[in-house]
Amino acid sequence: MPIDFLINVFEENKDKIAIIWKNESYSYEWLLTRLKYWDKKLNDMHVNVGDVVALIGDFTPDCITMLLSLINRSSIIVPLNSTSKMDYTEKLNISQTEKVVSVDEINEISFEQLNIKANHPFYTELRSINAPGLVLYTSGTSGSPKGAVHNFLKLLNKFKTHRKALKTVNFLMFDHWGGLNTMFHTISNGGTVLGTKDRSPDSICAFIEKHKIELLPASPTFLNLLIISGAYLRYDLSSLQLITYGTEPMPEFILKKLKNKFPTVKLQQTYGLIELGVLRSKSKSDDSLWVKVGGEGFETRVVDEILQIKADSAMLGYLNASSPFTNDGWFITGDQVEIDGEYIKILGRKSELINVGGEKVYPQEVENIILEMDNIKDVTVYGEKNAITGNIVCARVTLKQPEDKKNLASRLKKHCIGKMKGYMIPVKILIVEEMQYNERFKKIRNN
Amino acid sequence: MITKSKLLHIIYNCIDELNLQNEPDKQLLKTEETVIFGKASPLDSLGLVNLIVALEDAVNDELNIEIILADERAMSMESSPFKTVSTLADYILLLLQENGNG
Repeated sequence: MPIDFLINVFEENKDKIAIIWKNESYSYEWLLTRLKYWDKKLNDMHVNVGDVVALIGDFTPDCITMLLSLINRSSIIVPLNSTSKMDYTEKLNISQTEKVVSVDEINEISFEQLNIKANHPFYTELRSINAPGLVLYTSGTSGSPKGAVHNFLKLLNKFKTHRKALKTVNFLMFDHWGGLNTMFHTISNGGTVLGTKDRSPDSICAFIEKHKIELLPASPTFLNLLIISGAYLRYDLSSLQLITYGTEPMPEFILKKLKNKFPTVKLQQTYGLIELGVLRSKSKSDDSLWVKVGGEGFETRVVDEILQIKADSAMLGYLNASSPFTNDGWFITGDQVEIDGEYIKILGRKSELINVGGEKVYPQEVENIILEMDNIKDVTVYGEKNAITGNIVCARVTLKQPEDKKNLASRLKKHCIGKMKGYMIPVKILIVEEMQYNERFKKIRNN
Repeated sequence: MITKSKLLHIIYNCIDELNLQNEPDKQLLKTEETVIFGKASPLDSLGLVNLIVALEDAVNDELNIEIILADERAMSMESSPFKTVSTLADYILLLLQENGNG
C-alpha cells in the first residue's frame, strides 16, 4: 500500500503526539484508528482508486488523516485551502474534480458528488499503474492557475529516508507543496504537526513560545513583519533553532536584520517548486543568499541565466498548459540566477506575476474585474517593489471621461472588495492618457 | 515651515480614507497614540501598505514633495517609525528636514 512506510512509523510511535490542533493533542495511535475509520467511510461513499477528489481543509487532524486515507486508496487528490474559498470553482473545473470532501475547523465533514467524469490523459496514466495522484496549482501568465499533476508516490519517496524531526510550526499552507512537505517530513519521522489557523506575527510568536517550537518555515515577508511589528520581543522564542525561508526572493536587508535579531538561530534558504517538489538546500552561511540546491533525485543546470532542474519527482505535466520541460526532461524554472562555483543566488522570477508577501497575483485577473467598472477604458495591473510586502499591486488606468483621482481610487477599491482577495486589490492607482500596449498588442506591464 | 500638526492632519485624512475601506472592527482611531503596526493595531500588513502609499501620495499632493516612507532604511530602524501615528509624523518630519523642506 502507498503509505505502508508511514504506517510503520505510526506503529513505532503510538504513544507520541502526532498532531496538535487548537490545543488538543492527537497521538499516532489515534491516527492509526482514524485511518481505519476513514477507510470504511470512504468505502461507504464509494470513493475508488483513481477518483479525482478535492479535499478542502487545513492541517486539522481529520483533514490530515483523510488525506492519508485517500493516498492509500490511490485516489487523485486536489488539496484546497479552506481559507481561500474564492478560487474553488475554477480549480475544481480545471482538475475535473469528481468528488469533494470538506473538513472544517471543528472536524465536521461534508461530501459532495459532482456530475463529471475525469478523463485527462495524465489521470489515465496514473490509473493504469494504480498510483495515487496529487494536483497542485501554480501561477500562470494566462490568467488561470495551472494544475500540476503528480504521481504522489514519487513525492513521498524521499520521506522513506529518516531524518531528524524538529518541532515545526506548519506555517505554510495546506494547498501548497511547501506546507504538505513540512507535514510529511514531520509525520514520517515521528514528530508533531503543529498547525495554527491564525498566521499573524503575534499569534505565531505566542504559538512558538507555548509549544517550544524549534523550526519556523516562513516567507521573507512574514519574517520582516515579525520584526517590524516587534512581535518577536513580546514572546520567549529561545526554543527556535532554525528559521527557513522560501516562496519568494529574500531581500538582503531582511536577512541581515534577521541574523541581527536572532544571532543564535540558523537561517536556511529553501527552494521548491510546485512542479518538482522541494530540493535539499544549504545556505553558504546564515547571512548569505548564496545557496546550494539539489540532493538525491535532483540535477541542476543554468541555461541563459535561468535555472533548470531535472527531478525524479517531477510532475507528469500541467492539466491546462503545454509542457514546461525541455525535450531531454529538464524543467525550466523561470528563476533567474547568478552562479558562484556550486552555489547559486536567486534573483527573481522572470515573469509578470506579482508576488505580494508570498501570495501570487495574476495581473489579468485583477484587470478583468476592474474593467467591469464604469468609465474605465483600459487598465494595466503591474507590481512595484515594496519594503513591507515585497511587492504591491498597482493599476494604471485610462479613463473614458476625466475623473478626480481620489474619487477613482476609492471607487476602484470599493469595487474590488469582495470580488478578489485583499492582497490582490491595487494599492496604488494612477491615471494615464496613452494606450497601454506595444506594437504586438501585448500589454506593457513594467512600471 | 511644515509643522507636526500639519502632518498629523494629513495622516488623519488618510486614516479617514482607509477606515472607509475597512470593516467596522478594523478602524484606526485618529489620535497620536494610535498604534499603527504592532500588537494592538487592527491593521495587517496590507492595511499598513495601503496607509503608507496613501500617505506618500497625500504628502506629494498637499506639500508637493516626494517622499518614500517604506524603504530599507525605515525597515531597518531600531525603533520602527510605523509604531504609532506620532512616530510616523516624526519620521515624515525628519525626511522633510533632510530634504531641506522641514
